[in-house]
Amino acid sequence: MLHVSITTAQQAPAGQDKLDGETLFATTCGWCHADGGREAGKGPKLANSQRTDDFIAQRIKHGKEGAMPAFGGTYNDEQIAEIIRYIRGLKDDAG
Amino acid sequence: MRNTTFATLATAALAFGATLAAAPALAQTIDTARIEAGGGNDWPTYHGNYKSYHYSTLDQINTGNVKDLQVAWMHFPGRSTRGVQSQPLAADGVLYYSGSYSRVFALNGATGELIWSYFPELDDALVARQTHSPYNRGIAIGDGKLYVGTVDGRLIALDLKTGKPAWDTKLMNSQKATVGFTGAPLFAKGTVVIGSQGGEWPGRGPIFGVDAATGKQKWQFLTAGGNDYDVAAKKTWGNDSWRTGGGGGWMTGTFDPPTNTIWWGTANPGPLYDWSGADYKTQGARPGDNLYTTSVLGLDVDTGALKFYHQELPHDAWDFDSAVGEFISIDRDGKQLMVHPNKSGFVFVYDRKNAEVENVWRMVENINFVRDITSKGELIGRRDFTAGKQDEVLCPHISGGVSWNSGSYDPKNGQYYKIGQEWCMKLSVVKTAAITEPQAQLNIGANFTIAKPPGSEIYGHLDARDPITGAKKWEVRYPEPPLSSVLSTGGNLVFVPDARGVIHAYNALDGKELWSHNDGTGHQGGIISYSAGGKQYVAVVAGFGGMATDDYSVQFGELYKSMPKDTGALIVFGLK
Repeated sequence: MLHVSITTAQQAPAGQDKLDGETLFATTCGWCHADGGREAGKGPKLANSQRTDDFIAQRIKHGKEGAMPAFGGTYNDEQIAEIIRYIRGLKDDAG
Repeated sequence: MRNTTFATLATAALAFGATLAAAPALAQTIDTARIEAGGGNDWPTYHGNYKSYHYSTLDQINTGNVKDLQVAWMHFPGRSTRGVQSQPLAADGVLYYSGSYSRVFALNGATGELIWSYFPELDDALVARQTHSPYNRGIAIGDGKLYVGTVDGRLIALDLKTGKPAWDTKLMNSQKATVGFTGAPLFAKGTVVIGSQGGEWPGRGPIFGVDAATGKQKWQFLTAGGNDYDVAAKKTWGNDSWRTGGGGGWMTGTFDPPTNTIWWGTANPGPLYDWSGADYKTQGARPGDNLYTTSVLGLDVDTGALKFYHQELPHDAWDFDSAVGEFISIDRDGKQLMVHPNKSGFVFVYDRKNAEVENVWRMVENINFVRDITSKGELIGRRDFTAGKQDEVLCPHISGGVSWNSGSYDPKNGQYYKIGQEWCMKLSVVKTAAITEPQAQLNIGANFTIAKPPGSEIYGHLDARDPITGAKKWEVRYPEPPLSSVLSTGGNLVFVPDARGVIHAYNALDGKELWSHNDGTGHQGGIISYSAGGKQYVAVVAGFGGMATDDYSVQFGELYKSMPKDTGALIVFGLK
């Protein structure tokens, strides 16, 4: 016989889906992408990335086995676009 | 938060298992009494025995002949995504261990011949979404079964002789919570205890007690805010922030048989970093002390009732959690003590009756998240951040002053052998909000970068210390902090598997290196000693690739850049 106990997660705080890319990045990405993506760390440096927006969006959605989790179950296209907008803005802060 | 328990799960989990050979020795029952006496021929529980010594009484391999130690056999678990991080177990001449994806193997302890294997079918889509996955840190055995957790929230029991599933219990809705189980379960008195992953995940970090015979959940302890009746604990979370509080009990604690008590540590609260400033009792993301995160708990093994606790870091704003599973039982001067390292690098010494603090000492030099913690456990000079870039580095680094892996206590000479890690981080705190829909995610609340300690390089050290006072007898330094567990033995040896891939054997009395062997890739898991067919063996897992190790390639250069993060092995040594 199998048994299951389910603990339900809470409702998202109001306005969460409107969070900007910088906030989303610091919520889930800042552990691996060092200095907010400005330096190479566990994950690659993102500032001045030569990758296309589409590549970055797909990587955020689907991840990379053993290296980066997939966030497609968490972030919608609009939120991923916000994160990419933040990454592109890192050019101004890099160095 | 709403909790629902279902009596049954409609679909049985598929699994791939095989039984190839009979056990090499007459298997006896592993029960609580044998685990209590473990650490001789057998290694029947994660920490060696319930005293958590990570010490083997075996002395066939000793200071006089360790130079003749060589590889006896190896085993490759395959599909070792993020390396091999588990602690093997051994009983009656059989070695049991797990790899990534909760693959389990039973091997002839003398030859490595496969007895059986078991590969659970996991929710691959969920695994792809998990940050701390798919590694597995170990297993438990007892009452004729082997127990393993999965990253999709299940606890599975296998027949110890055949590897065939006995029961498969879904304890967590990991599809919603994202986190599951990576830590080893603990068997004690017919109960299997396991804790959820996730400090900075917006759950409530359950610790579960499960009936070993039936797989039925006996109890659940919610670490963030306590169980439903615990109003006092919830008052330590302003704005009902306990609802997304985190605090998973992600590493394996131990059992104190005389008091029927499970000792278990809990993780940090979420968000991982807070922006409260000094007034953390009323400001920030989670105002208050945030019980029972970053705490050690004493739980009744039969009921899960909280008997006592000590919160090592009230309102932990640094991710220096208490989830380190070492609870070392030592009796001295008429006192019954429990020694527990906190991730911050402070080591707490408790009265085993009630978790009252008897002493606190420093394992590492580079600590500045507080000015000090007194011998009574009081934090002095806390650094509670406000949002923005912090001018001074934070020490230690988020990977801790000590690892989640374990040290070793030699009861013969009274020395505690433990790895310390000297590193810091540059930190910028960012206000965030918990993400719980449609699927929960970690809540960091910061960006950061690993950094050198002020005035020194990053390094690690093996210390021989008095576990009660912290007095240091000797030290061995490493240019990169080792991350694996330590083993000491009755042969007056201390074994340290390091990050480069070299396993070292030192004289326990003076720290002089007597033997080493290159295992070919970094270590970040367990090491044990056991006997099979009358011969002593040392078994260690190799295979790099966890959250702490991922910093090594940028920080320490080429060796780590080319070190694979998807391979690993079990390597077993014996005398020529």
